[in-house]
Amino acid sequence: MGEIELPGSPADDADATAVAPLPLRIDAEGAVEPTAPVASRRRATRALLEVIDRDGHVRQVWTVQGWPARVGRALDNDIVLTDPHVAPHHFTLTQDEQGQLALVVGDTVNGVAIGLHRIAAGASSLLPRDAAAVDVVAGRSRLRLRLADAPVAPELPLAGVAVHTLRILPSLGIGLVLLAGIAFSSYLDSDPDTFSRLVGQALLAALSATALWCGAWALLSKTITRQSHFSWHLRVFMVAGLTLLALSAIPGLLAFSLSWPWLTDFSFIATYAVGATALYFHLLAIEPARPRLLRWVVATGAVVGIALTLWFNVQRTSRVGEELYMSHLFPPKLRLAQPLATDRFIAELAPLRALLDKKAKEAPSAEELGAGKDDDDDE
Amino acid sequence: MKLVRRCAVAVSVLALGCTAVVAQPARPTPNGAPVAAAAAAAADAASAPVSFSARKVYEQARTQLVQIRTVLKGRGSQTSVGSGFFVSAEGHIVTNFHVVSQAALKPEYHDLVYVTADGREAPLQILQLDVLHDLALLKAADAAGRGFDALAFRAEARPLSQGERIYSLGNPLDVGFAVAEGTYNGVVRRGFYPQIFFGGALSAGMSGGPALDQEGRVVGINVARRVDGEQVSFLVPASYAVKLLASGRSAPPLATAAYDVLTTQLMAHQAALADRFIDQGWKSATHPRYQVPVPPDVFMRCWGSSEPSRTGGLDVERSDCAMDTRIFAGDFSIGTIALRHESYDGSRLGPLRFAARYSQSFRNERFVRLSPEFQTKPQCHEDFVDRAGLPLRAVICMRAYKKLPQLYDLTVLVATLDQSQAGVQGRLDAEGFSFENAQRLSRHYIEAYGWAK
Repeated sequence: MGEIELPGSPADDADATAVAPLPLRIDAEGAVEPTAPVASRRRATRALLEVIDRDGHVRQVWTVQGWPARVGRALDNDIVLTDPHVAPHHFTLTQDEQGQLALVVGDTVNGVAIGLHRIAAGASSLLPRDAAAVDVVAGRSRLRLRLADAPVAPELPLAGVAVHTLRILPSLGIGLVLLAGIAFSSYLDSDPDTFSRLVGQALLAALSATALWCGAWALLSKTITRQSHFSWHLRVFMVAGLTLLALSAIPGLLAFSLSWPWLTDFSFIATYAVGATALYFHLLAIEPARPRLLRWVVATGAVVGIALTLWFNVQRTSRVGEELYMSHLFPPKLRLAQPLATDRFIAELAPLRALLDKKAKEAPSAEELGAGKDDDDDE
Repeated sequence: MKLVRRCAVAVSVLALGCTAVVAQPARPTPNGAPVAAAAAAAADAASAPVSFSARKVYEQARTQLVQIRTVLKGRGSQTSVGSGFFVSAEGHIVTNFHVVSQAALKPEYHDLVYVTADGREAPLQILQLDVLHDLALLKAADAAGRGFDALAFRAEARPLSQGERIYSLGNPLDVGFAVAEGTYNGVVRRGFYPQIFFGGALSAGMSGGPALDQEGRVVGINVARRVDGEQVSFLVPASYAVKLLASGRSAPPLATAAYDVLTTQLMAHQAALADRFIDQGWKSATHPRYQVPVPPDVFMRCWGSSEPSRTGGLDVERSDCAMDTRIFAGDFSIGTIALRHESYDGSRLGPLRFAARYSQSFRNERFVRLSPEFQTKPQCHEDFVDRAGLPLRAVICMRAYKKLPQLYDLTVLVATLDQSQAGVQGRLDAEGFSFENAQRLSRHYIEAYGWAK
């Protein structure tokens, strides 16, 4: 079976096939054609079988120059895999007279999976003709079969370099707005005499937190993807920070202005959503191949977190929301809601009675009893 | 010398009692020594420096005086001790409600017994309670076929005059029966229910014991003392015990936990308190710009303070008003009204900073009073309220009592919203009111805000 090239082990060595010993083609007259181009002189590559590692990188490439091609752990195969979960003769790729390719599974316990479709020992499956690549799993080996006739995916642009320079300015802008926001919030929290000290502390804390957070994510990215993606993580962090800063002010302002206490009661849901979104984008830089999975994981996490918080609120305060009452007060001009007459306000108190009477009849939960010990200020 | 030796003995039993005894002779008070010495047995009393009348009073009252113990059912160990005294030949005993509250409210866990000065111990039954004046009428369960020496009450028509000597008897800290000499100082000012101000030392364990005049007649019942003062103690006037005895003399013993009695009496209390509070109106001129609710000093006391900021920030002036009277209700006390307000000036802060600080102060409020065993979590109602053009943010939060049906705690928060760099925030707390009275009090409080006239 001289039709199969022995592969070079790393992906970069795939070109080694070009130097494989090839017989000269003899023409009809029996004369040697001396000046054929290199590509036409070697025997045509029918397919490429790539061995993929856990991170999606190609670890090994085999070129297939003729059918059938046998794959397994035994040394008499055309393609020899070292995975112990692969049978000695795991499967064979064959071609019929019409040129249709098929995968015939040999004597194996684990079988073969093509995409999500599993094929047991002894069975066979036709391979699609026009797919760019066919994913095959044999044992624990992830294989990708590229056929010569299949269309080639277009070239990917070098995302990093070109786009990076374009994004520096917006990133810088976001960073400055964020710092200004932090400075403003420490202005609000400080007295005139203590402002200069507090703002320094706040900015220093913000910068250190950014460096630590983004540094940790970059380290994780580097460990897994071999690229740090620091600027990506930084951008995610800054946008999330800015959104959270806005979320800390806007619901309170609207709740005051329109007298909508529920807005701040449940604004934690938006905070959770922002946190989950930021987490998704951080994770995307670590596992870029599975955005759908990450979206599911993060969305599930957010929903579970929100549900647990609501449940915990009910346990802690007998109410679903976070705040017992709306406590955000702003300058008088920002109030839009009209004040009520005292009579109406007092009359609207009535529904509390039934609610309280119902709660008074409920036995306290064990958790409440434990928590209540500290709150008791009587005696 | 004798005192010191007695103390050395007492240390091993009750360290707290000893320090109290040692401390008293050091003070230049006439009755420190008698309290300590009279705690000893009668033989000791002979050689101690007891004034003649204190000795006479104690000797006369000795057989009428009892210690009242609350004992854990089936365990025999005592959970609390107090004092009491016989008021009838049939074996009626008067003491404080707070001495018997565990037995009254959790009879399934507690038994009551009395112990006489000569060590005789017998069970007790509760006949009637006067929770508002902190009194209880008991009866010796072994009364059948037995006659008791009883103390007589001083006639109401013959009031004491201030400075007269009176003698308070009881069993302080379970050390032994004692007589504490002190003075009658009239009725406590600003109490909701009248109490006698006794210028003498009362200790835990003496609660429920009688206070006697020179002739050995009951003028009051020991009930409380101020821990932040010296010899500032309180007695329940004897007239309430007389009424309790008259109404409960032949009442059947309480068969079940007394929460219904407690609730009925607290209902009456809250009705009277709400009426008096609303009828008394408000003080005038309490703020240069607004009308701010501050009650007159009838049964409440207000303290004010001013806190200018040291860091160029918010200047605050406070007023805190509270009642001295609280009704003891077993595991907690109830039946009071308190209110306060803070006046903020943030002209050096600017509107945004002021708003942040003003919000923080509005948020920084406590709402948990009792453990969930006794009370629900608060539920609130809130909105903007208009007071003749003065916009307010008002929040009303209420909690219900679990064992006192139809009684609620009320908290009203108010913040004025007409200025961008100044304002007033107020809070009213009313504990143990009916829902209707909570609504009345809320209205009364919110309507007290307005523009200064």
